[in-house]
Amino acid sequence: MSQPTAVLGVIGSDCHAVGNKIIEFALSQAGIHVVNLGVMVSQDEFIDAAIETGAQAILVSSIYGHGEIDCNGLRGRCMERGLDHIVLYVGGNLVIGKREFGEVEHLFKEMGYDRVFPPTVDLSNVAQCLKQDIAAAA
Amino acid sequence: MEFDKKLENKRLPLDAFMAERNEVLQAWPTGQDVDFEEGVRTQQALPESKRFSAALARAERDGKTLIQPRAGVALVDEHIGLLRYLEPACDLLPTTIDAYTRLNQYDKAAEGIERSAAAGTSLLNGFPAVNHGLAECRRVVESLKKPVQVRHGTPDARLLAEITLAAGFSAYEGGGISYNIPYAKKVPLERSIRHWQYCDRLVGLYEEHGVRINREPFGPLSGTLVPPFVSHSVAILEGLLALEQGCRCITLGYGQAGNMVQDIAAIRSLRELGDEFFRAAGYHDFQLTTVFHQWMGGFPENESMAYGVIGWGSAMAALAGATKVIVKTPHEAAGIPTREANKQGLDCTAQVLNMVREQGFPPSPVVEREIEIIKREVRAVLAKVFELGQGDAALGAVRAFEAGVLDVPFAPAACNAGKLMPVRDNEGAVRVFEPGRVPLPADVLDYHRERVAERARAEGREPVFQMVVDDIYAISKSRLIGRPR
Ligand code: B12
Repeated sequence: MSQPTAVLGVIGSDCHAVGNKIIEFALSQAGIHVVNLGVMVSQDEFIDAAIETGAQAILVSSIYGHGEIDCNGLRGRCMERGLDHIVLYVGGNLVIGKREFGEVEHLFKEMGYDRVFPPTVDLSNVAQCLKQDIAAAA
Repeated sequence: MEFDKKLENKRLPLDAFMAERNEVLQAWPTGQDVDFEEGVRTQQALPESKRFSAALARAERDGKTLIQPRAGVALVDEHIGLLRYLEPACDLLPTTIDAYTRLNQYDKAAEGIERSAAAGTSLLNGFPAVNHGLAECRRVVESLKKPVQVRHGTPDARLLAEITLAAGFSAYEGGGISYNIPYAKKVPLERSIRHWQYCDRLVGLYEEHGVRINREPFGPLSGTLVPPFVSHSVAILEGLLALEQGCRCITLGYGQAGNMVQDIAAIRSLRELGDEFFRAAGYHDFQLTTVFHQWMGGFPENESMAYGVIGWGSAMAALAGATKVIVKTPHEAAGIPTREANKQGLDCTAQVLNMVREQGFPPSPVVEREIEIIKREVRAVLAKVFELGQGDAALGAVRAFEAGVLDVPFAPAACNAGKLMPVRDNEGAVRVFEPGRVPLPADVLDYHRERVAERARAEGREPVFQMVVDDIYAISKSRLIGRPR
């Protein structure tokens, strides 16, 4: 299979840039082609970039706590724009405050994300999951 | 609005300021309620105990380090409840503004307020002061006994300043550089500097009316491995810009790096350099203080470990002689803290400050050498900034970022070069391993490289980006230095 491509960015009005740069570095090293949109990315910008680059996955970060507001509806918009099988990941400090991760995971899976990650996730595991999920969706 | 005149570090003429003010107050309906004269009366009616500048002056006189948390939630009564809960455990209060307001997205903030009210819990990461408006902001100040500061991260903070200062907030954080580079992606630097000249001019107008508002450039920038000379250079430039607009009470800030010698040297050099540059620019009647931020990068998730980070930062703030310390919480790695967690951070800090208060760091040639290095770095960088600006600090700042002379690591702003790469040395001090286009004196740069090489030898690996990544994670994984595992 050709090299998998993933669009990466920090959603909404979120300026946290450090994790974003590290995810790009780690996934690229693991052989994934990363299209990094950086911080403050709107849902439409994610989708436009995914269409433009033919990406098989969108990796959304939300660090600043507004994830519940900003991340909602992305799956629906992807469908509207014809991205029926795109893999959607989300990770970071997704909600306001310290909440049980199981609850957070449930909340974001309900929104249509295939996998949900806490801030402490090991990125080499993420790269592996991503390759498997992309292969399975193809 | 675009500006008809070229950016320069000159006090804005009153008529131009007033014309602009009309536009600013129309940006959101709550702006209409602001009346400057009434704002002055509100400020003048504040008792001494609620004036930020007075608290800072007292702390300086007594050699005390004041304690301040961060805190802000979506709804007014909840926000008041939160601050009242924290008030007995600290000296100075904050009102931390939410991220939508910081980017002037007041319609989104309104949605956040609505959803928070419906959910019965705050869904915003701060207090949306502009949406709540003048009367509600005044109610916040009136409900409290201690001075309150606006803490945010807003490239265009003009309307926020108008509303909160008229409501009786007596300190205002931020600056045209420090609230752009770490907080924005596409805002041109000349625009944010110009918008902050407006905020500073407003503070200057209050000063002319006998009301002293404290101004605090945001020291830590990206909070991640920022070498002291980088943040000092920005802080001093913002201090100069504020003084020119008539501000007189300036607090320069610095975010803890983690190495004891470097942190003590950083606060001492910051104070001395501020004094040096402000006087050299012809200002003499200013009130200068310092703030030390407990570690601003990634925290350990384990709360006991987080207390360790908080305690170590508190000890450094006291030993360095900072006027105030900004406090983290045991929830830092996870999310906005509960009020209880927030107070626990304050209590931890107070305990350490109280134990260290009477102790001074002994005179030390190692600290003196580090102070000298930071001073030489800042003087070299600022000399180039002024050269590029033909003597003008505002123009110089813009051109220096364009040229990569000023360069903040890990910042999201497009106008930042991002070529400078920091890394820790073998004792954990933050050094420069790739200077980009920052004009450090050759022997100072050699010193940085030597220190980094020493670590590389100790670890048996090259100082490549993986080492920087390891350093970024190190404190969250119970270390200062990101050693290979
Ligand atoms: C540094 C920092 C800042 C810097 C950011 C500089 C910059 N431009 O990057 C500054 C000081 C500017 C800042 C500002 C703010 N911050 Co801040 N910040 C932090 C801090 C201390 C560290 C973040 C960091 O860089 N970590 C290191 C990197 C490597 O880790 P990371 O960001 O978590 O990313 C990793 C993982 O999350 C994961 N990941 C992330 N996304 C994804 C996506 C996928 C698909 C996967 C698989 C994994 C993954 O992988 C990444 C790499 O390992 C955290 C707290 C902490 N973690 O200790 C708070 C924190 C993130 N900030 C927070 C907030 C709220 C803000 C502000 C809104 C101010 C405020 N109200 O307090 C503003 C932001 C305004 C805006 N418009 O966005 C909150 C978020 C609260 C919440 N979610 O409940 C935190 C958690 C602090 C807290 N406890 O209150 N901040």
